[in-house]
Amino acid sequence: MNKDIKNLVADIKSRFELVGEDYPKDDQAALDFNSRDIHSVLAYVKSQGFRQLSILSCVDWIKDNQFQLVYIVFNWETGIRLQVRTRIDRSNPKFTTVTSIYPGAKYYERDVHEFFGVEFEGNPDSYKQLFLENWDDMPPLRKDFDSKAYSDRKYPVREYAADFSKAGDKK
Amino acid sequence: MDKKSILAPFKGWKYLFKKPVTVAMDDIFKNPRESQDNYRGFHINDWAKCIGCGTCSEVCPTNAITMVERSDVADEEGSKPERPVIDYGRCCFCALCVDICTSGSLSLTKEYLLNSSDPEDFYYMPTEKGITGKPIKLGYVKDETSDLLDLERKHMEHVGEDERKGSFIEIVRGFSKEQAIAEASRCVACEICTKTCPAHMNIPEYIRSVWNDNLSEGVDYLYKTNPLPSVCGRICTHKCEGACAISQRGDAVAIRWLKRYIVDNVPDDEYEKVVLSQVSKKGDGKVAIVGSGSAGLSAAYYLSTLGYEVDVYERKAQAGGPMRYGAPKYRLPDDITNRDISFIEKLGVKIHTNTDVGKDITMDKLKSTHDAVFIATGYPDTRPLNIPGVDNKDVIMAMPFLADSADFERGSAKMPEIKEKVVVIGSGNVAFDVARTLVRLQNMKYGKSDVMMAALENRQQIPADIEEIEEGTEEGIKFNLACGPQKIVVDEKTGNVKGVEVCECTQLFDENHRFNPQFDFDARQVLEADQVYLAIGQMPDFTYIPDEVQSQMQIERGKIKTNKNGQVAGVPWLFAGGDIIKGMDIINGVANGHDAAIGIDEYLRKNKKKS
Amino acid sequence: MKEIKLFLGPQHPGMHGNASVHMYVEGDIIKRSYLLPGMLHRGFEKSMERRTWMNNIALIPRICVPEPDTNEMVYAMNIEALAKIKVPERAHWIRMIILELARLSAHLMAFGGIGGPTGLYTAMYWAQADRDRILTIFEEITGHRVYHMYIVAGGVRKDLPKGIENKILDFLNDLESRLPEYEDLVLNNPTVRARTVDNILLPAEVVWELGVTGIGMRSATGQEYDIRKVAPYARYEKVDFKVPTATYSDAQTRMTLKYQEMYQSINIIKQAIDMMPGGKVRAKVADGSALRWRVPAGQVYSAVEASRGEYGYYTVSDGNTMPYRVAVRGASFPQGLLGVEKYMPGHRIDDAPLWFDTMGICSPEIDR
Repeated sequence: MNKDIKNLVADIKSRFELVGEDYPKDDQAALDFNSRDIHSVLAYVKSQGFRQLSILSCVDWIKDNQFQLVYIVFNWETGIRLQVRTRIDRSNPKFTTVTSIYPGAKYYERDVHEFFGVEFEGNPDSYKQLFLENWDDMPPLRKDFDSKAYSDRKYPVREYAADFSKAGDKK
Repeated sequence: MDKKSILAPFKGWKYLFKKPVTVAMDDIFKNPRESQDNYRGFHINDWAKCIGCGTCSEVCPTNAITMVERSDVADEEGSKPERPVIDYGRCCFCALCVDICTSGSLSLTKEYLLNSSDPEDFYYMPTEKGITGKPIKLGYVKDETSDLLDLERKHMEHVGEDERKGSFIEIVRGFSKEQAIAEASRCVACEICTKTCPAHMNIPEYIRSVWNDNLSEGVDYLYKTNPLPSVCGRICTHKCEGACAISQRGDAVAIRWLKRYIVDNVPDDEYEKVVLSQVSKKGDGKVAIVGSGSAGLSAAYYLSTLGYEVDVYERKAQAGGPMRYGAPKYRLPDDITNRDISFIEKLGVKIHTNTDVGKDITMDKLKSTHDAVFIATGYPDTRPLNIPGVDNKDVIMAMPFLADSADFERGSAKMPEIKEKVVVIGSGNVAFDVARTLVRLQNMKYGKSDVMMAALENRQQIPADIEEIEEGTEEGIKFNLACGPQKIVVDEKTGNVKGVEVCECTQLFDENHRFNPQFDFDARQVLEADQVYLAIGQMPDFTYIPDEVQSQMQIERGKIKTNKNGQVAGVPWLFAGGDIIKGMDIINGVANGHDAAIGIDEYLRKNKKKS
Repeated sequence: MKEIKLFLGPQHPGMHGNASVHMYVEGDIIKRSYLLPGMLHRGFEKSMERRTWMNNIALIPRICVPEPDTNEMVYAMNIEALAKIKVPERAHWIRMIILELARLSAHLMAFGGIGGPTGLYTAMYWAQADRDRILTIFEEITGHRVYHMYIVAGGVRKDLPKGIENKILDFLNDLESRLPEYEDLVLNNPTVRARTVDNILLPAEVVWELGVTGIGMRSATGQEYDIRKVAPYARYEKVDFKVPTATYSDAQTRMTLKYQEMYQSINIIKQAIDMMPGGKVRAKVADGSALRWRVPAGQVYSAVEASRGEYGYYTVSDGNTMPYRVAVRGASFPQGLLGVEKYMPGHRIDDAPLWFDTMGICSPEIDR
């Protein structure tokens, strides 16, 4: 593991309650926090050089009935990347916006709202439709959304006239 | 702004006088550019190579490939009569189908232009001719790097020859969990093996169970078609592996060892739950089974799950037939056989050992006390060789020798009389069992071995499994192949065997592939030996069947004629299976036993019970 | 003056891919604007959850049409990180050649693309013709011109074809000799300059606010914020190249940086061809056939420097044969959505396509 990461994680541990950690790459740490700490963690790491929010994404852990929010932040000076993660209740998915810390999160929050149905309180546009015009089903990146069944329901299946079972039928 | 920069853009005008790099619209169709080598264009499929395994269709990320059964393609072993059809409305030309093709029959061409207003023209079954009908230039073909199959079998630990040749310890150690899962992940689940397996075992399904580490599901699959999985997991002739699609270009999936892995790694109590859960108990009747080899035990198991009362009669002291008295313990330890048989007995099957039908109990008696009789008495006798000197006491038959040796190995008899220098005649699996048993016995008795195998076949023609040849050679067996024994040389004074005189075998099969050995009688030599073992084949013994019953049966070349469920033609209450109707191996017996159980069930449901 | 509603795209010569900008204008000044994405949404992220790790190779290049290889690269990097695969040395160098060729072709397309909004179609034709020559090289290496499906987990799908190095060098030398003509045609063109100099500004604080990366970031901050330097992947740490930067970001600066980067890409490829070792090009991802490859459970993000900025995938595996989740971070996302909403207003209608072009926006990677 990168020495900078070691120091950084030690520093973060001294300030916040870390509920899980993983190091998928030499220059990357995945840190899990309680959701009440996320805003202060993000504000803190931003002050420590993690000025860029690369992406906010969501993972549907349907078996645990949880959504996992993943904020990936990057420090352009050190090349270190952090996954700041938290889990929220899947049956009532609500979280507070981080746009006051990373304004660029605005559309990522809309994206997560549209595809997972997570509400971001404080983001005025988060309820608006973004990609999916006239969408009439559950948020499609949820694990219980079956895209194949949706497509079978919505679109016709092609029927073929040619029969290749016998010799000399075609070509 | 300076003048230079105003004029600068006009420098481009010089290209007005240069040859354009673009392709004129007209040329796109009339004079199309040839694509680069390696281009991923339309498919071709070499039907001579294609085995219809459907792996292309399985891997296709766009569901563009459908397998269609062809009426003009023969349904043969090791292949399916199906060929891929490609919907170019879906195909994305990723060539994953080419990279995973088991036989290497699929390739892509450099062809990329096809114009038609009919969408059906883009639904196409590739052959060795291309879609456009123009001469074909190959584009993307698979190479070693792009191959998506795993062609190498996972290594399994074997006991080294030095350690094994002086004892009867089991040679193959069995897969560890990691090895088994890795090996199982090589399977493409094409099901070609299922067709080839005489018992049509659910091979892809139980391999998938191993891969998913769900072994009790695996046991469940095994018992659907085979109640002797522990035995078959060790000594099955594994025809499935010969048919395996992966073996087209690589090592077949180790199907037999995976089966063994399942049974070896499920604890007895869990195992028992699965085995007993298959019982339906609907049948009502009593069935006698003669012989406790694979066919007899298989029939006993399935009849018993159907609810019938089953009596198995075995003339030897222990049940199992060739599993007990044929297969040497270094391939099949006794406790393995015990395990399979104990589960069958748990279902309520009664096995009467030391009961020789025909002597201790007559067939008529069996017929009168049971509703149906199943005979599966196998090929217990060694085929004789008619050359001078074979009646000498030191010319020994394979089957009795193996039985005696098996009794010695399990400690219930003393070591058979073996001498220091021996010749084994024959090169089938039984001959290797004899030779390799002799190596062990000699090493135990003399501390060294001297075993020579002599056979009509040359090295390529040897019918035994390749492992037998390899391991036998490692253990120090010598070979004298392509020779025909002419006489046993006997010392006139002592009456002891001195060797075998052989002459060269110049041809084994004639041009019609018929067995027709030719000899060069001038090329003679004597293979020195103190003992000669005969293992050139086995034959049945039908003397226990009363003459009036035999007269109603049709027996040709040692095989009884039956219908597909083993019902003997002309004798409806009699069913037969195993070596005496077909084949010469355990798995055939298992299959026959299962079929016969179905046949007997049908027969008994139609015919009322006796007592 | 009355506000009217206008649409730029989804079909428009100056529009990059099938997105639409919803503009409220007064006169020719944009007052409010929003991007309407989703015009070519194909649910890639969801589709990937239904396909095996290998099969996704057919999907991922499609997320960015002009520069598909970055998708393949980050996808492969994530699998390699999760499965702890050691990529053969030669494969790293081949990947670098492919990625830089892709950067060149994408830069050419965007650089020539300036011809659309400015009416300088010569630039577009030239750039497309030169880009086509790169595509022919791709065709020979990978089998296809646009969707290469070449960089795979563990390395690359096949080794380079024999003799391709010379073909690449010939092309690079020729392009290098032609680049000054591009400079004259586009950068020094007074008409283009009149449209681009001091127009469409991108101040450094906006870069940080939105999370803009790539040329946009480097042209405003003056820092070498290039992932190839900051967190090198492949073998970028072993080649010598410069990262052009500037401290004043107008449309002209960003085009100039793009132009300068092309020289650097040529430079990198030449070094890579020279330094590339022999040997194997692909390591095994997992045991067995591709149908049964499993990737150990884990969650990892990898990013590369695409022609438009940071391009990343977040991959989650639950240890099975298919990804549990893949999230795509397209480089255009910040400026394409929030940027259009906040910073496009105030510009003239005819500058909107120019805004799109020089901000480095590619709509498929927003849609994914």
